[in-house]
Amino acid sequence: MKQRSILAIIVILFITAACGEKTSVVESGTYQGTIHEVEADKNEIYVKTADGKLLELYFTKTTTLTRNGATIPFSELAFGKKVSVEVKKAGQRLDPIAVEILE
Amino acid sequence: MNIDIWRKELWHPVTVHFPLVLLLGATANQTAAMLADNQNRPAWQTASSITLLLGVATAWLSLYTGDLADGIVARTICDPTELKDHEITARAMTYTFTVAAILQQIVRWIITPRLRRFTNILVLLILITGTCLLIKAGHLGASVVYQQGGGVAGYPQDCD
Repeated sequence: MKQRSILAIIVILFITAACGEKTSVVESGTYQGTIHEVEADKNEIYVKTADGKLLELYFTKTTTLTRNGATIPFSELAFGKKVSVEVKKAGQRLDPIAVEILE
Repeated sequence: MNIDIWRKELWHPVTVHFPLVLLLGATANQTAAMLADNQNRPAWQTASSITLLLGVATAWLSLYTGDLADGIVARTICDPTELKDHEITARAMTYTFTVAAILQQIVRWIITPRLRRFTNILVLLILITGTCLLIKAGHLGASVVYQQGGGVAGYPQDCD
């Protein structure tokens, strides 16, 4: 009985661990939050806003990335950094117009 | 129109249909093994084991090719949240079938008949769960392509 329970718990934990976090869609505007994840090979970041929404942002050719007004490379983005993002909602897609590192 | 057929996002539809067939087959074979008599059961279990191992291998490959396509397709469709749901479900599905494959190999080393029986039933339940996830992932993937034109060259976009 004990072996069966352990086996079942391991299976449930393993499968639960496979589930990812869902992303949110917000209206066009400017939002502040912290970087939750950076996917450099896709030029993509996840930003967690103060109210707990997770925004998935794929940089476009026109997205600007700045700190103190100066343009910086994408590699400057890292987990935990505070950012301000201006997004445009197109359908259910969020196109980042401007991303600014706040610290 | 100049369309490149070697586009990176096209590797996903090349690979993704193998796990669809193999993993559904594995579940069907395992069900048959549980219902079969003692004489025929080993043949069904071998068939289930082979299809499951091949299915899991191609599922992991499809996760990789899906990840390659994601960064391109998500920028062109109007509702990338559907693509995200597809990705999350496909990942959960792959993990689920991987757990089933590992358990199925462990069963071979279990000597106690009752525990072996229990583990075989557990494998079947996990395979059925994986099949539900597989159907959901497939439906979401189909919606991304056929409803939103994800990865389709020259598809007209009008998001507003």
